[in-house]
Amino acid sequence: MNGRTGSDSAFQFEGTWKEFAPIAFTNLLLTVVTLGIYRFWATTRERQYLWSRSRFVDETLEWAGTGKELFIGFLLVAILFLLPFFVISQVSQALILRGQETLGVMLTLLSFLMIFYLAGVARFRALRYRLSRTRWRGIRGGSDAQGFRFGLSYMWKNFIGYIALGLLIPWSMVSLWNERWSKMSFGPHRFEATAEQGPVFIRFLLFYLAPVILFFAVFIGGLLAAGLGLSGGFDTIDPNNIGATFVLVTFLFIFGFYFVLGLIAVSFYAAFYREVVGATRWDSVGFSFTASTREWVMLLLGDAVLVVFTLGVGYIFLSYRHWKFFITHLEADGEIRLDELTQSTTDTSRHGEGLLDAFDMGAI
Amino acid sequence: MRALSASWYDGKTAVRHIGTARLSSESRGFLVLEEDGQPPLDIPLGDMEYGEKLASEHIYRRASLPDFRLRLPADLPPAFIAVLPAMRSYGGWVDRLGLGKALVAFTAVSVAAVALFMTAPEWLGPLIPTSWERQIGDAMIGDLGNKLCSTPEGDAALTKLLDAVDPEKTKVRAGVANMGMVNAVALPGGQVLLFDGLVQQAETPEELAGVLGHEVGHVRERHVMTSILRQFGLSILLSGANSGVGNTAFGIASLGYSRDAEREADAYARSRMAESNISPLGAAAFFERLGGDTGEDSAEPALTGWIASHPAPGERAKAYRDSAREGADYPPILSQQEFGSLKTMCDEDEDVEEFGFF
Repeated sequence: MNGRTGSDSAFQFEGTWKEFAPIAFTNLLLTVVTLGIYRFWATTRERQYLWSRSRFVDETLEWAGTGKELFIGFLLVAILFLLPFFVISQVSQALILRGQETLGVMLTLLSFLMIFYLAGVARFRALRYRLSRTRWRGIRGGSDAQGFRFGLSYMWKNFIGYIALGLLIPWSMVSLWNERWSKMSFGPHRFEATAEQGPVFIRFLLFYLAPVILFFAVFIGGLLAAGLGLSGGFDTIDPNNIGATFVLVTFLFIFGFYFVLGLIAVSFYAAFYREVVGATRWDSVGFSFTASTREWVMLLLGDAVLVVFTLGVGYIFLSYRHWKFFITHLEADGEIRLDELTQSTTDTSRHGEGLLDAFDMGAI
Repeated sequence: MRALSASWYDGKTAVRHIGTARLSSESRGFLVLEEDGQPPLDIPLGDMEYGEKLASEHIYRRASLPDFRLRLPADLPPAFIAVLPAMRSYGGWVDRLGLGKALVAFTAVSVAAVALFMTAPEWLGPLIPTSWERQIGDAMIGDLGNKLCSTPEGDAALTKLLDAVDPEKTKVRAGVANMGMVNAVALPGGQVLLFDGLVQQAETPEELAGVLGHEVGHVRERHVMTSILRQFGLSILLSGANSGVGNTAFGIASLGYSRDAEREADAYARSRMAESNISPLGAAAFFERLGGDTGEDSAEPALTGWIASHPAPGERAKAYRDSAREGADYPPILSQQEFGSLKTMCDEDEDVEEFGFF
């Protein structure tokens, strides 16, 4: 039995926000009355819904994770990492207070280095956890790697990325994506990721140079305006007016600066995701991600409007919007031999994405 | 028994099995899945677990085969509902209680937990052994070393003052800090500091005894430990925000105590002074000079440090004045010479360092 993907999009989202709303609101309510502890079960219910309404070819996905394992993952992180970190920060403060500045600062730096490392491990393990809890036709994914080596790569690649005046950041992002996904598998097949930094580098450079370009543009513009103003005649210049204009121009400039910079950043991320997803394969299935910069901007603006106009309550719908965006723009092409698609032999971790939770990051 | 249409995955390959599901007729202990050309699959009902509800289907799992998935239609006949595991949606406890009851129960538990947490410093502080507090304090502050003024005569005078207001066998540690600020603090670990600025402001040794007694009161009534615990709780709550507010030992001391704690410390000082036959009028005069009955406006700016975090000076002065015994003749606690040696302590200590907060 073979499943052929292609003509229509292989990934389809079939959920509606009306179906999602009761889940989101009861989750919010239960999370509030349990002082946040229900959060783990809330996440699980949310994912069960989102996964079950996401169709790949002819079968929906299934989320097989549980709230309990997420909760245990969180407790483990709290005991193994947050508590020691808290103690270290207290100890280093005491050391600084006692005049042992060097030792105190060293200890603080060391603990931050540790966090940096664990952030990398966490990103790896979160993806592994999510794949291992995702079922399609009863088959799951996972990874045999624990993510400890990825943590090291994460540290040095990011370090290199920033140390070269930030110019190697696209390289580090792309290379970390490849490293992470190449360790993952679904069923018997490994993922392969061979993304390159070339296609995204121009947009990164644009983002990188934008502040400089904008600064000079404004500088020259200012000079021109001053020149025009001077030639316009002295008698019409009202000092108060100049002050107001100046404030307005400054305001517009600062607003415009962040807006333009934000837009360029989004366009970089749009290109980044098109590149890395497009360069990821699973057996004979290739993937692509079709969201354009404009669609990303609409998503983010929609988020902002939704949250602002509901006085924050709309926040509970963001996970729905983001997942829908992800699934609708994800495409796959290739052939799947169902009888060869056997169960994954990877180990499954018994606890959830505690580490990631602690660092509050996304998995994909 | 009517058979239902069913589909399942065995969890070993991605091949979908399509067939029917029926309950075994004899003992009703099994769910039987039948597929054309395949032997029937018997699943013990006890092995079945509820998975989730889709738009038009239920998904069941098996405890013994974690990846096995069975889909049955959403409108199950009563015979199946009776023997299949019950639907789960919110999570074990909520499903068992029902959403409404669970909300009420969780709210009650949460309110109780918050109340316990908020009041924990008050009842937990005094339960912590003094020796622990001393170790915690030492770890937080360390050795103040040469930042305290010390001369043989001055030390002797301070010890005399301390003896009068601290009857316990293991005395709190007291010192005069080489700093011009008009202030006094009780630090974690049972360490009390009078700042040189305050010593200079004092006109009689009784005034110093009042202030010292007050700070010793904070230590003995375990306000310091309470404050540390409160700060600890806050920093746990704020650990995500990493506010850095009052994160130091001095931050704790200067964050201060509740008004009730201040009154308790005053009461402690008054009863110790009464026991040691020290006139409370000196302390009263001190408070009157600080703020007086006219309110805080008249306070000398330099003196506001100590009073800002304390109850109104007028009220305190009155309490001290009222505690004086009618017509009693209190002997002076220190001789003029002893008092003088306290005042010159910081000038005469050759190798004392400027007291800083770090």
